[in-house]
Amino acid sequence: MNRRELFTSFTPAFALGEPLATCGSELIPNAPLRTHEGKTVRFYDEVIKGRQVIINMMYADCASQCSTVTSTLAKVHEALQARMGRDLFMHSITVKPEQDDPAALKSFAEMHDAIRPGWTFFTGDPYDIETIRYRLFRMDHIKFDTDLSFHTAQLRIINDATNCWTCVSPFASLYTVLEHIAWADPPKSLEERLEDNRRLQQKIDQEVRQYGYRKIV
Amino acid sequence: MSDVTAPRKRNRTRTRQDHVVTEPGVTRRTFVKAGVAVGAAAVLTSRKSTVQAQVPPPPPAEPVLCGTTPPVSPPTTPFLDVLSAPSAAVPQALFPFPTLAANTGAGEAARANHQRWLEFFPNVFYQMDARPSLHTFHSNLLPSYMWTFNNAYPAPTPLNFYGVPSLVRFKNNLPVATASFGRNEITVHLHNGHTASESDGFAGDFFGTGLFKDNHYANAYAGIDAFGGIGDPNEAMHTFWFHDHRAAFTANNNYLGLNGMYIVYDETDPGHELPIGDSLQLPNYYSVTDIPLILTDKRFCAAANGRNELFQVVGAGAPGGDKWVVNGKIQPRMTVRRRKYRFRILNTGPAKTWNLTLVKPDGTQGTMTVVAVDANFLEHPFNLSSGPLTVFVASRYDVIIDFSAFPAGSKLYLREAAAQNVGVAASGLPPGLAIENVVMRFDVVNREFWFPPDTPPVPATLCTLPVLPPPDAFFQWDFTLVNGVFLINGLPFDANRIDHVVLQGTTEEWTLANDVAAGNWTHPVHIHFEEGRILSRRVRVSQNPDVFQNVPLTFDELGRRDVYPLPPQHRVVMRQQFRDFLGRYLIHCHNMNHEDDFMMVRWDIVDSIEELSTKRREIDRQRRLAGVRPQYEGGLV
Repeated sequence: MNRRELFTSFTPAFALGEPLATCGSELIPNAPLRTHEGKTVRFYDEVIKGRQVIINMMYADCASQCSTVTSTLAKVHEALQARMGRDLFMHSITVKPEQDDPAALKSFAEMHDAIRPGWTFFTGDPYDIETIRYRLFRMDHIKFDTDLSFHTAQLRIINDATNCWTCVSPFASLYTVLEHIAWADPPKSLEERLEDNRRLQQKIDQEVRQYGYRKIV
Repeated sequence: MSDVTAPRKRNRTRTRQDHVVTEPGVTRRTFVKAGVAVGAAAVLTSRKSTVQAQVPPPPPAEPVLCGTTPPVSPPTTPFLDVLSAPSAAVPQALFPFPTLAANTGAGEAARANHQRWLEFFPNVFYQMDARPSLHTFHSNLLPSYMWTFNNAYPAPTPLNFYGVPSLVRFKNNLPVATASFGRNEITVHLHNGHTASESDGFAGDFFGTGLFKDNHYANAYAGIDAFGGIGDPNEAMHTFWFHDHRAAFTANNNYLGLNGMYIVYDETDPGHELPIGDSLQLPNYYSVTDIPLILTDKRFCAAANGRNELFQVVGAGAPGGDKWVVNGKIQPRMTVRRRKYRFRILNTGPAKTWNLTLVKPDGTQGTMTVVAVDANFLEHPFNLSSGPLTVFVASRYDVIIDFSAFPAGSKLYLREAAAQNVGVAASGLPPGLAIENVVMRFDVVNREFWFPPDTPPVPATLCTLPVLPPPDAFFQWDFTLVNGVFLINGLPFDANRIDHVVLQGTTEEWTLANDVAAGNWTHPVHIHFEEGRILSRRVRVSQNPDVFQNVPLTFDELGRRDVYPLPPQHRVVMRQQFRDFLGRYLIHCHNMNHEDDFMMVRWDIVDSIEELSTKRREIDRQRRLAGVRPQYEGGLV
């Protein structure tokens, strides 16, 4: 036995990369939704299960907020191009399914240059959409949970494989949004984390030399 | 011997190599040293058994969560368990020895160098291991899966002295992957330590499993530069607490148990009751006559798999509890002697505000003498005998209760205004008191000969408040909520963006303005770094946004504070100094669910006018880019 292992403080309950007992199936409705391409998919089984996804709520004729959010998402997509459609997906769900049919979503996506690999727009039965919105974005406050306009302004990031959920305001800087998306990345090995830590230390040292303390990113 | 090691070996071979977190940089030599440090007994036995003594208990299995609908917690018989103070943390040697620069080679999390390291070279060292463990909240309940420091909930309490700097090594041994709703990255904040930024637990400075971080606590008063030595003794604070501050997961990690108390003694509050020096002779023997009451609310799942797991929903914030927990126990009892006791009441949240009263055997309200608020002594003690003691999240109230007025055999109760779920009937309660409101019971007995005698009456004057310098600048923090996002001065939290810069050594007068439209929340706003003083409080009283009415300050707002309760439409004007250290600090709502929804803002302390104006110019440039009003139009400095 390697003596170093004596210092092992724990045995991980789950092996890296292997799927966890996820609560996704319990939380996320498996409702049939229609995509902007007109396909019908099961929301949990075919869209989220085992994947890392970025989810936001929007609607097609939303004037200001949704456009800002969608353009942020487009920037995120550009930054994470290599992963998009492979192990990272972007889902935009309409909060007004009764107005937004697949064609409307498609034209919205075209208008925002959002026809990109791994990025899908969804509409569906209003009851299902409402349930999804409540399950993914609830704030446990009667006012906020019933006000539709409140839910166009948060990105939900879920890694269903590792059971990791987080969220970020799309109005934060691109750097911060990317950082939050990375929080849901599959866990790294200790060696990789130590390497990241060393890189961060170099960055801090450089900033301290250059700016006296830590700089504005 | 072989019986013990064999299953362990089998377990190891089953584990894939990359899952095993090995403490980096630990050689066999330091390992043997650590073994020696454990004690002579370990040295005398064979090396193999030393090895056995070093192996920590295996972590508990990950929890199986009980769905998304909040359950009703199982019934618990009141007063079955005995309340005890968290154990005192034991100082220990640290290997590898702490260093000025982050020892990344040994696995220390990246940070800037410790400030004032040689000036306050640490004399006392603690290690706090964040790890999963089981805790039983009540004898009627099965153990619950938690994340705790050193396998204890609440964490062991480091007892420190002003003038004796300490260093706490926070080690992250949380699981690589978890089924709980916690996040296995931590950054620990000592609330409200006068701490250098790199040890302050900045929300963005979290570190992952397998790494550790040395937090350097100077245990000095604020005003080191101005007063020399260990600073201005009038800035003394005594009742601190430390907790995880991981951005976006603070509520979850604290609900799972990553918090504890931290006490610093000085001459006026020396940790003993003897009439020596300037001692105020308050009840002061830790865990004997000076007891932390660490309050939180929890909700439990029905028994399954040999556990009563804490209710939690992955992806959501911390749920509201239906069991009132004090020092990790539900409705405990405590035997008290007929003398004065000091209770250090701390609300660890995550979100609940407590309204506490002391109920006497005849059902009327008893007197609690409040001596300290948010770790700071009040100038004069306040006898609270009508109305509740309102404790917002993260606030601390040190109260003295004198049990000598009650005959042996009497029972007093700590009452919380909101009702919990008990599920078991109780008899013999004072008239008008429902068991659902009872937090804990005090059983009065006569003082035994060996128990410390009563302390003298609480002095009429406890401290001299420090001189409050005139402000060098004014600033306003606007808390709003737009489209479901908490904004401060128009922007959401971004750990990588500075929202205000102050110059070291100056004083600023800040207005905290709560314009959160829909909420009826009182936000307990916490400002890191130094204690502030509330100057005035006003409330908007009409539709006209500019009409305000003054609100008289309550007794607990007359002294120094670090948590500023901010009800809707209120304006709190407070003044704070920025001395001794530099770096990145935070203001946030200490309702941890709001904090995780980014009701938080970063501000920096710099030490040169050039840097101040450069950074302020940069802030305004970024604000213009983001489409919000620049802050420093009146002048950069």
